[in-house]
Amino acid sequence: MIEVKNITKTFGKKQNVFTALENVDLTIPDGASVAILGKSGSGKSTLMHALSGLDRPQQGQVIIDGQDILKLKETAVDRFRANKIGFIFQSFFVSANETTSENISLPLEIAKVPRSERKKRIADALAAVELTDKATSKARNLSGGQKQRLAIARAIVNNPQIIFADEPTGNLDSVTSETIENLLFGYNKNKGATLIIVTHDPELAAKCGMVINIKDGRVESVTGA
Amino acid sequence: MNLSDIFLRAGRNLRESKARTILTALAIAVGATTITIAMAAGNGGRDYTNNIVQSSGDAYSLNVYAKPDSTEAAAVEGLPEYGVEAGETAAVNDNRLSEKDIAALRKLNGVESISPMLDIESEYVTRGVSEKKFIAPLSVKVDRTKIDLAAGELKDNMPTTGQMVVSEGYLASLGFKSAEEAIGKPIYVNVLQYAKDGSKTTASRDYQFTIAAIDRKSDTNLYYQEALRISAEDSQTIYTFQRGEGTKALYYGVVVLATEGTNVIELQQSIADKGYEVYSLEDQREQLMQVIDIAQWGLIGFGALAVIASIFGIINTQYISVLERTQQIGLMKAVGASRKDVSRLFRYEAAWVGILGGVIGVFIAFLVTLLNPVITEVLTLEEGTRLLQMDWLASLGLIVGLMVISILSGYFPARKAAKLDPIEALRTE
Repeated sequence: MIEVKNITKTFGKKQNVFTALENVDLTIPDGASVAILGKSGSGKSTLMHALSGLDRPQQGQVIIDGQDILKLKETAVDRFRANKIGFIFQSFFVSANETTSENISLPLEIAKVPRSERKKRIADALAAVELTDKATSKARNLSGGQKQRLAIARAIVNNPQIIFADEPTGNLDSVTSETIENLLFGYNKNKGATLIIVTHDPELAAKCGMVINIKDGRVESVTGA
Repeated sequence: MNLSDIFLRAGRNLRESKARTILTALAIAVGATTITIAMAAGNGGRDYTNNIVQSSGDAYSLNVYAKPDSTEAAAVEGLPEYGVEAGETAAVNDNRLSEKDIAALRKLNGVESISPMLDIESEYVTRGVSEKKFIAPLSVKVDRTKIDLAAGELKDNMPTTGQMVVSEGYLASLGFKSAEEAIGKPIYVNVLQYAKDGSKTTASRDYQFTIAAIDRKSDTNLYYQEALRISAEDSQTIYTFQRGEGTKALYYGVVVLATEGTNVIELQQSIADKGYEVYSLEDQREQLMQVIDIAQWGLIGFGALAVIASIFGIINTQYISVLERTQQIGLMKAVGASRKDVSRLFRYEAAWVGILGGVIGVFIAFLVTLLNPVITEVLTLEEGTRLLQMDWLASLGLIVGLMVISILSGYFPARKAAKLDPIEALRTE
């Protein structure tokens, strides 16, 4: 369970202060599929950063599995992300020069998964996104949809508890988007992992069990909770 | 992340920017090559010097002479003719050593034996009764030190009774057209008998010698003096005639042989302290070694400067690399890589560049050492001389050293990478 208690995040100093998040309170149950819906600049990405420990709000608590991650040391937050979180981004962020397998191997290396176990995990992840035949291809030779599938494989390879997807279909055509959505929701259902999608697309948000509407740094409404 | 994983990733990242990696490594390689060649030349130079010294004689022998009163340098080409110039009575050595001196030397620590060189003086030398007469220094060859022969043969590098070794520089004066021509020819040494008080009498005797060999200065001979060299036996015969039976023996010099393991330089110093002129191979060797060391360290210094210059290349390259790979770094950090992991990745990349530069440099230096035969020929050194000798262990040390230097110079770029904010790094809009 993710509990967000009264977090406030500001950027800048004195006259130039900009409040990105203001007194946000949320509870997300385990295994939920959640959309953080909002327009550009609404604070939805900042909320995702706060939830995943990438950013530290000045106030409030982010309690995941009973642990306030804002109180953890940087190295502990790193470990928390390495072991419990997967990320998917709009721009994929795959290493073009590396092979598909090498890309997927990165989270395992960071989490210090023994070498003997990596091979199987990578193969499983590749199979899950149907990229087994591309295992030794360089990522630069993949299509956009394949790159995002690779990114999903990389996100799920370490069996994360929570997956954050930041506009996962923003750069893809509708057919490919559907494949990606199916993969994400499939993983959410089959593995019971919490899926948090950040999007400005109400259609995509509607497919989630829970929708958090964000506007000007405040939670406007939460539906389906 | 495990070190091995970071190391492999670092290597992979470098392979992706091959041109940049190799160019940066080549900058280091320049310094590495210079340093390796300096070490190789130092090794070869020391080896060559040791060879020269060994072929020049016994490292434990010291030549001891009395200190000359004045330094009158007789800069005469060839031999002065007897009876033509006022130099006929000019003694080659005014000062002599006596039994007393020998006794004093014998008391010194580390002296094993002393071989005296008898002081004999020839009045003149000539090729025959009606030929020109010359003033020539007679020298006694008491040691087996190798001498370079232009012609003829010697057993054990020593003339036997009745044999004479003539220096190449005297051939023209004596009227020989070539060294070969002189071999086997007779040569007469006229010796005056001295009275008890040391003054010359009119009694004289001619001693006949056969020219057995012609010697010359060689690169491997450290001190060479032109002379007519005869055997110790003949010198004894001449001395007995010249000074008369039972006279107090006088020597123009002695060869002191030090006990094995003695510090020759210290012994030399203590002999010099007693007021003697003393020369040793060890002394010469140390001086040569010093020259080689200075040259070597000078060259290493230039190499080190090149390495320092290349450090800036590494830093620059790594900074560019960090800028280029902002997203990769951001992603790594998002996925949970610690600052330490990211910083290590960049430092290991720098390490790879250092290793690569070192290996290239050492390899180029090795290729240069393959030119040894050419160098030997150009410098007309003795055949088989290897003036450049690879020091593989030191080269390995150099590569490791360059790796460490590279890691250190990768510090600032690595820190920049480690400090990158993943949110900033992954922002696309």
